[in-house]
Amino acid sequence: MKNSVKLVAIFGIAVLYMTINIAMIQKPGGPWDIPAKYKTMKSTIKAGDASINTTGKELYNKHCKSCHGAKGLGDGPKAANLKTSTGDFSAKKFQDQSDGEIYYQSFIGRDEMPNFEKKITDEADRWAVIYFMRTMKK
Amino acid sequence: MMKNYSFIRVIGAFALIVSMLSCYNGFAQEEEATEPVKERPARPAFESGLLFDAATTTIQSAKTLEMIIQHRFGTMDNGASDLFGIWAPSNIRLGMNFSILNNLMVGIGTTKYNKMQDIQIKYNILQQTRSNKIPVTVSVYEVIGIDGSADDKFGVNYKFTNRFNYHTQVIISRRFNDMFSLQLAPAFTHYNSIDSTLDHDRISISFAGRIKFSPQSSVIIGGDFPLQIQGISEHTKEYNDNATMMKPNICIGYEVSTSTHAFHLYLASAQGILPQENIMFNRNDFFDKGILIGLNITRLWSF
Repeated sequence: MKNSVKLVAIFGIAVLYMTINIAMIQKPGGPWDIPAKYKTMKSTIKAGDASINTTGKELYNKHCKSCHGAKGLGDGPKAANLKTSTGDFSAKKFQDQSDGEIYYQSFIGRDEMPNFEKKITDEADRWAVIYFMRTMKK
Repeated sequence: MMKNYSFIRVIGAFALIVSMLSCYNGFAQEEEATEPVKERPARPAFESGLLFDAATTTIQSAKTLEMIIQHRFGTMDNGASDLFGIWAPSNIRLGMNFSILNNLMVGIGTTKYNKMQDIQIKYNILQQTRSNKIPVTVSVYEVIGIDGSADDKFGVNYKFTNRFNYHTQVIISRRFNDMFSLQLAPAFTHYNSIDSTLDHDRISISFAGRIKFSPQSSVIIGGDFPLQIQGISEHTKEYNDNATMMKPNICIGYEVSTSTHAFHLYLASAQGILPQENIMFNRNDFFDKGILIGLNITRLWSF
């Protein structure tokens, strides 16, 4: 009799655990509402600038990698704790966006995506990070 | 017991600032002949405003709050019996720094040893630029400590001002490249009240360096060297020659920096945390059983 109570309890806990997990599955963040001035924003550095693979890479690794992953796949160690999916920077959907749209999403942010304007203060350094993310295209 | 040397302190600090400004003018004149370049500030020489117990020229962006936890265990000379100092009495400081401007930071803190309370201010008078028109970042840094020990520590003629001590420093740093940064920092330290066997004033020179070996990890090294200068000593040369010299505080460790944190795990010799404590009182010899383990954690919040 005692064993069947234990079994029911274990089964109940398992169902509860699965229910909570399902409730916590990450959801896509939904469309971004990006102001027009950002959509048409132009980079202050040129594609192929030397800073992309030095400064851009270093700043990406310092500020972005823990959630977005080393290759931008959204598999960083902190990503699992987020309610919102971090997206995939290698995907066509991400790469088809304008530089300005990526700038707004990366440095202005919303909700769980923090603002990074005070962490990366130099304009050209921000563009180096964006162009580094462009190198993640499949 | 108490002796006021604030005049000498002010003169010393002023002379250092003037010499720094002179260097700046020299640099500026050399560049006048070249084409005008849109100046961009260089990226910070160090990841955090703190390296071991020393200040760096790095000041976080305006309206950023930095919480600091600094911890130093006891010396390792007792070996495994106190787990290499980890079970020995330790020193801890909790601090908060706030960047009012991009080049001005103020801070407060409290330290276990001597129940020391401190107020700090750091101002960057020069910022290294990427064009090298300004090749170095120069900060002035002041730490005012207030000793919270019992009144009788300060002798029979106790006054509240006896509790005050000052550390005035000019910090000159250069980020040579993404991997290597170095800083040099002459300083003047003054204690309003100190044991009669010691001097109230001391000049010191500190250095710190960073070698980054991965995007987030660095080897860090630092040293504070108290100088015995007879001209500012209250004791005779004969006395000083026979007195035990204070030892340099040498630190070497590992730094991990993330978007909001900096972690330091290191070996050091001095157990003080405020720079004036290490320059005035450190008797631990890094090369003779005077090593201890230290760690720092910083956390940033932007507003």
